[in-house]
Amino acid sequence: MASQRLGEAALSESGPSHHHHHIPYSLPHMLHHPNTSFIRNQEGSAFDFGELEEAIVLQGVKINNDETKQPLYTTVRPAATLEMFPSWPMRFQQHTPRGSSKSGEESTDSGSAVNTLSTTRLEPDSPISRKTSSDHRLPPPQPPPQMDTGSGVDSPRTGGSQTQPAAKQAPEKTLRRLAQNREAARKSRLRKKAYVQQLESSRIRLTQLEQDLQRARSQGLLLGGGGVAGGNISSGGAIFDMEYARWLDDDHRHMSELRTALQAHLSDGDLRVIVDGYIAHYDEIFRLKGVAAKSDVFHLITGMWTTPAERCFLWMGGFRPSDLIKMLITQLDPLTEQQVMGIYGLQQSSQQAEEALSQGLEQLQQSLINTIANGSINDNMHHMAVALGKLSNLEGFVRQADNLRQQTLHQLRRILTVRQAARCFLVIGEYYGRLRALSSLWASRPRETLIVDDSSCQTTTTDLQMVQSSQNQFSNF
Amino acid sequence: MYYQSESHSSSSVHGGTGAGDPLERVVRLASGSAVVIFSVSTCCMCHAVKRLFCGMGVNPTVYELDQDPRGKEIERALSRLLGGGSAVPVVFIGGKLVGAMDRVMASHISGTLVPLLKEAGALWL
Repeated sequence: MASQRLGEAALSESGPSHHHHHIPYSLPHMLHHPNTSFIRNQEGSAFDFGELEEAIVLQGVKINNDETKQPLYTTVRPAATLEMFPSWPMRFQQHTPRGSSKSGEESTDSGSAVNTLSTTRLEPDSPISRKTSSDHRLPPPQPPPQMDTGSGVDSPRTGGSQTQPAAKQAPEKTLRRLAQNREAARKSRLRKKAYVQQLESSRIRLTQLEQDLQRARSQGLLLGGGGVAGGNISSGGAIFDMEYARWLDDDHRHMSELRTALQAHLSDGDLRVIVDGYIAHYDEIFRLKGVAAKSDVFHLITGMWTTPAERCFLWMGGFRPSDLIKMLITQLDPLTEQQVMGIYGLQQSSQQAEEALSQGLEQLQQSLINTIANGSINDNMHHMAVALGKLSNLEGFVRQADNLRQQTLHQLRRILTVRQAARCFLVIGEYYGRLRALSSLWASRPRETLIVDDSSCQTTTTDLQMVQSSQNQFSNF
Repeated sequence: MYYQSESHSSSSVHGGTGAGDPLERVVRLASGSAVVIFSVSTCCMCHAVKRLFCGMGVNPTVYELDQDPRGKEIERALSRLLGGGSAVPVVFIGGKLVGAMDRVMASHISGTLVPLLKEAGALWL
């Protein structure tokens, strides 16, 4: 049990002569820290006091809310570190800046209890060699009668409101810096864990994808006519599909965050962080698409990475920005007149840009048709080489189209207030979620018979629908 | 849209000091009209950018570098100016460099292109 570990660790670290000091500490500790968050946060086998204090603080506090992470260091003090600066009064420590979320502190009742307990730590020297990282909480040697936690709960809190004059400026900065370091380390550990989980789920998805492919191929359904060699999805395409699947998971998470944030009526500052995070999330998919366009532009431009319903509305490898604006106009909040002008201006400019790109692509298509049609028997290879050269321009158009999409989203962000932008992005996310759901429903709708023939295969697997679409890829030009 | 033929462009350029430096020539040509596009006649992205301006009611001056005897030099200079990558299309408005297609589109979406055009006298209302 975690708290027992604490006790043990404290015991082991302080040496045999201090057993009697540590035991009373660990007992109440166990009483007040039956928390699982501490166990959850344990990474690796080494016991980390930094993690302990953070975990205890986070008990009952939403991990997502960055603000509440601030007061981490204003609570729990593991026994072993208390000896570090025995002459420092604890109240001073509690009052160090960033007490912005008192709510975070309030929720850690047990934390304060431990604080109290820690005050009972007497000065006996104890192993100063403790991790220097957790040294910014110094408990003042207080008179002992605070063993029972009930009375102890409030005192550190009220104590904290009175500033202690004892000021050691330099160590305070050190303490703050160390706290920030710990915080940064913890965040990166959490990020790493999330990433690993995503990797795991992507791996599983990849195996499933491969199985589906195998099955479909064995049924002779994947033809080479789709322009991809041997009926395989190219590695660039497969990689992008995996990354896109992960992006969709992230999207889901961002949407929940947005929803919760709007319902919780967070301040504009907090909301802005979340909204900007969502924009960065979109920037990420455009970056990934850019990479994928280099390796397999056909995969993008034919929409093989999206669902059938989305593919219906595909424009140059993605959504059509002016369509998105048209959809949003009806959904957005009451807008100021200036905002209305801005939105209509955005709609017009995106339409003009789309038109220009479409015409450019059309010219490319015409030129390609001419090249292929005019290939003579003698000069076939040359014409093919020319055609290949022209095809390579496709990547540029998909890049420009994605650029247009990205700029449209950024401009929306600029026109709208933070709150409006949050609602707007929620609407966008939900809209595409519904479109994807529509595709799934369509794929699994009940059908009378299962007829298998060359041109129209009726099964319920979505990969088959992908095949059917791939046969019409040139119509997407 | 005004297409500058090679003779026209060379005659307008070869007055006075002579155009030794291609970049100088670019600057000179760019300052000659409100909207200047350096293009290659077979390039489809160039076609797209021309369509963009025409769609907005602007008459850009277009220099087709594949039809200019010293077009290659200019292309190289432009490519360096843009920091590598494709030299065309590149757009100048009011003598000032706007950039390649992505910058032009970004500027249009963000609403800064139209004021630039008006300022240069390429658009009225």
